[in-house]
Parts: sequence; C-alpha cells; structure tokens
Amino acid sequence: MEEKKFYVKDFMSTRQISIKKTATLKEAVAVMITEKTNGLVVTNGENNIAGIISSWDIVKHVVPDYLENEDHLSSFEAEAVFTSRVNEVANDSIENFMTKNVHTAHPSDTLMEAAAILAEHGIRQLPVIDENKKYIGYINRTDIKRAIGDILNIN
Amino acid sequence: MEIQLNAVFWFTLMIFVATYAIIISEKIHRTVAALAGAVLLILLGIITQEQAVEGIDFNTLGLLIGMMVIVTIAKHCGMFQYVAILASRLGKGKPLPIFIMLGFITAIFSAFLDNVTTVLLMVPVMFVVANNLKVNPKPYLIATILLSNIGGAATLIGDPPNILIGSAAELSFNDFLVNVAPIAFLVAIITTGLLVIWYRKEFVVKPEAQAAIMKFNPNEAITDKTLLLKSLIVLGIVLLGFLTHGATHLEGATIALTGAVLLLLLTLNEPDHHLKEVEWTTIFFFIGLFILVVGLEHVGVIRFLAEQLLQATGGNMVLTTLSILWGSAVLSAAVDNIPFVATMIPLIKDIGALSGLNLTPMWWALALGADIGGNATIIGASANVVVSGLAQKDGVPIGFWEYMKIAVPMTLIGITLCSIYVYFRYLI
Repeated sequence: MEEKKFYVKDFMSTRQISIKKTATLKEAVAVMITEKTNGLVVTNGENNIAGIISSWDIVKHVVPDYLENEDHLSSFEAEAVFTSRVNEVANDSIENFMTKNVHTAHPSDTLMEAAAILAEHGIRQLPVIDENKKYIGYINRTDIKRAIGDILNIN
Repeated sequence: MEIQLNAVFWFTLMIFVATYAIIISEKIHRTVAALAGAVLLILLGIITQEQAVEGIDFNTLGLLIGMMVIVTIAKHCGMFQYVAILASRLGKGKPLPIFIMLGFITAIFSAFLDNVTTVLLMVPVMFVVANNLKVNPKPYLIATILLSNIGGAATLIGDPPNILIGSAAELSFNDFLVNVAPIAFLVAIITTGLLVIWYRKEFVVKPEAQAAIMKFNPNEAITDKTLLLKSLIVLGIVLLGFLTHGATHLEGATIALTGAVLLLLLTLNEPDHHLKEVEWTTIFFFIGLFILVVGLEHVGVIRFLAEQLLQATGGNMVLTTLSILWGSAVLSAAVDNIPFVATMIPLIKDIGALSGLNLTPMWWALALGADIGGNATIIGASANVVVSGLAQKDGVPIGFWEYMKIAVPMTLIGITLCSIYVYFRYLI
C-alpha cells in the first residue's frame, strides 16, 4: 500500500475571513459576531497579511493597562468602567493592538510543519499564503485533527 | 599628587560626558551606554580590569538585589493593595480624606520600597479609587509622583541614591531615619497640603460614589494569606535588621539578601521566576556607572572638580553644603539622579580630603537634593516617567509643562525647606 502524504493544501480551508487593517475595534467585533469566529486575518489593500486579530487581543485592549497584572484590584474597579472603556476604545484602529508577528503556512508545506508551528506557539490557526504572499485560506487545529483521524481510520 | 591635565585626562572626561549625553538623549538604553563607556575605559587601558572590579560597590548591588527579590515575592500576596483599599474605606468615600491618606501611604511605601515599585503599586489603586469616586484621577497621579520621590528620601533603602550614599559614607539606616526622615516627613506634609489647596475644586463628594467605596472589602485584595504571613515575617526581620545594623555592623546587603534567601526558603518556589524578576538591567547600569566613575577618579577628574567647587565656595562650609543641595536638585531634575549621585560621592570624599570639612551635612544635602529635586520635571526620576507612561496609555495624559507648572513650585518649596533644615541643624 502506498503511503498517503499529508500536505496543507489537502486539509486547508479556502474560506477567507479577513478584515482590512484600517478597520476599527467595533467593525472587527461586528465581523467576528456575524462570522461566528474568534480570529480574523488582517490584510492590507493587496490581500497581503498585515496581522491577526483575535477576540483575545480585543479583550486585552479593553482592560486598562493599570489593571493588567493586578488581580488584587480588579474586584474594586467601578462597575461603570467596563462600559465606558468599551465605548472609549470602540473606534481605535485594530492596527494598534493586533498581533503583527504572524506565522503562516504554504499549501505545499507538510502537515507536520503546520502542526509543529501550531503546537510550538499554542495558536489555533495558521493563515495560508500563496507564492505571491497573498492570503488564500487557513489551516487550523480542527483540520489537523481530521488528518489524524484519517491516519487512524476513524470516520 | 598633582593632577595631570593631559590627553588621558581629557579623553576620559570625553568618554564620560559622551556616555552621560547618550543616557540623557535616550538614543541608546542607559545600561548599554554605561557598560559601553566602562568597557571602553578598560579596553583603552585607562583603568585595569582589577581597578574596575574594585570600584564596583557590591554592598549597593546586594542590597538592591535582595530588596528586589523580597518585594517581587511579597507583592503577590496583595498586602500593599490591602492597605490602600482599607484607607479608602476609612476615608468614608470622601475624596479629600482619601487623597490625603493615599498620598501619605505612597510616601510611607516609598520610604521602604523602591520608588518605581511604589508607583507601580499605587497607580492602579489611584485609578480604581478615582473611578469609583467619579473624580479626575490626575491629582491622585501627580500626588503619587511627588510623594513617592519625597518618601523615598526618608530612609536608607527608600531610593537608590540613598543606598549609594549610605554604602559609601558608612551611614546606617538609623542615621537616615534620624537625619533625613524628619525633613522628608515635613516636606511630604507641606506638599500634600499645597496639593489639596491647588486641586480643592476636584474633591467633590458624590453620594453614589461614596456608596461604591463603602462596599469595598479590603480582604478581597489579599489573594494569598500564607504568603502574606511569610512576607510579613520576612519584612519584619529585614526591618529589625536595618534598625539594629548600626550596632550589629551587618551591612545592608547582608540584611537584604538574608531576607531574600529566607523568603525563597519559606516559599520554596522555583527561584528561576523570582530571580528573573530582579531588574538586572538596573543592576548592570550601576555596574557600568561604578566603573565609569573609577575611571574619572583614576585620571583625577573628580579631584579636579572637587578643587573647583572648593575654590568657588572659598571652602566655606555653609556655601559648599547649600551648593551641593541646590546643585543636586537642579541637576536631578534634568538627569537621572543615580549617575549623578554616583559621581558626586567620590567628589564629596575628595572635598573632605582637601578641606577637612565635616562631610555629614553634605551627604544629607546630596540625598535630599537628588531625591526631591527629581520631582521638578516629568522626566526627573524613573517614577515620574513610569506614572506618566501609564497615565498616557489610560487616557489621562500629563503634559510636560502642565506637570512643571505644579511640580516646579512644589520642588522649590521642598528644597527651600530642606535648606532651612540643613542650615539650622548642621551649619550653625
């Protein structure tokens, strides 16, 4: 029996959920809610990847700096601060707090390569780019799980 | 020994001035700049490596490292936040008494903790309390800066310049407590009073805000009771060590490192994490500075400056001491007070050797000028820079001139009070 090879291109999703880097926090939250996702690829005008924005980045941006690393004080913060902070940062450009250092995969990469990156950095998905560095889709941990299922003959 | 104003003299001075200029310009990180200057002095053969190592004050470094380890472990139990939240409760949700108490707590914390650690603990408290009171946080933030620097002047361990001075001049914790703490305390009271007058319109009582504060339960701030107990025991031992080291002759580093080791033993934590939290960049900054100053001493620059200062003051005790106080204040407002004090220490020692004047008042003048002078500008001390950075990020930017408008008069009044104190206590 010939051994089956596992490549990113065979398991990736070509659905593109992205947002322009000029978008605001409010717009990013709107896309995440309609697309039912926690992560968006941020692109510049030419569909090149400029970063990734996750709901994690948004949560961290809403928490004021003085409360980060302050588990002793957060329970004392005024109740109104959550609402006022959200309104305050609603129009901030996502470019200012997105993750800029993005790991990517190519369609021709082996699945082990992609899996290793996901495992090393504890991330959920990798954007996939073509030879012109254009964003064409993504591969996530669910896709890797499917491949594992394939090998183990689990249907 | 006659000072040779030769090429080596000027060249060393040039390296030193260039290093200072780079530190002030912030083009290169101050630690890298200081280490580069230090290494250059050794590479060029101006001083040997042995001389460089001899110039490093390991007592200062040990004291700093020991206190850093203790504080990084102890702050995780929430005791400092507990005290601040308790004060807000005791202030019954009224902005004015809360302002006064939090200012006072900042000064007290700062007397025992490093100023930057103090402001990192107090700024979040100030924001949370001001948000609950629904008042402008700015007066609280400015009070945090001013009182952390003033409180830091009060004790041997309150501010790195004091550690440097205490170590070099062999002045004990109690020497600082008896000689510097009273005037630091007075300056803190006057400063708080003036801030209250200045910001009197900001302290508006709001009933719903009062209710929010009265709901505070300080116990919620304590996240780890066992750690709290261990930290209190160790802090108690360290304080006792400092209060008695005039008699026991234990050096500051021995006491602080004993406390650090004890707390590490008691918590049995992975030391990796706690030791990483030590501000090694600051420690290496000190090492670089110590070596640079050795170079200056070695070629006679320090001696030369001491002679010039004595010539200018005619060897008059009052004039020399007060010039040190005011000179330190003005220079510390513009440059980091640590390199300044590191340079002034051998200079004052040379003044003693050349003139036979009593140096003790000069040490107090140096400490007060360098610690309190840093208040005058938003870049005058590390604590100021940290507070303004946090304030900026959280939507309450403190402008350079806006800050000076209030801080310069406060600093002038503070230094004037110090001058009167030093004059009447030591110079007549």
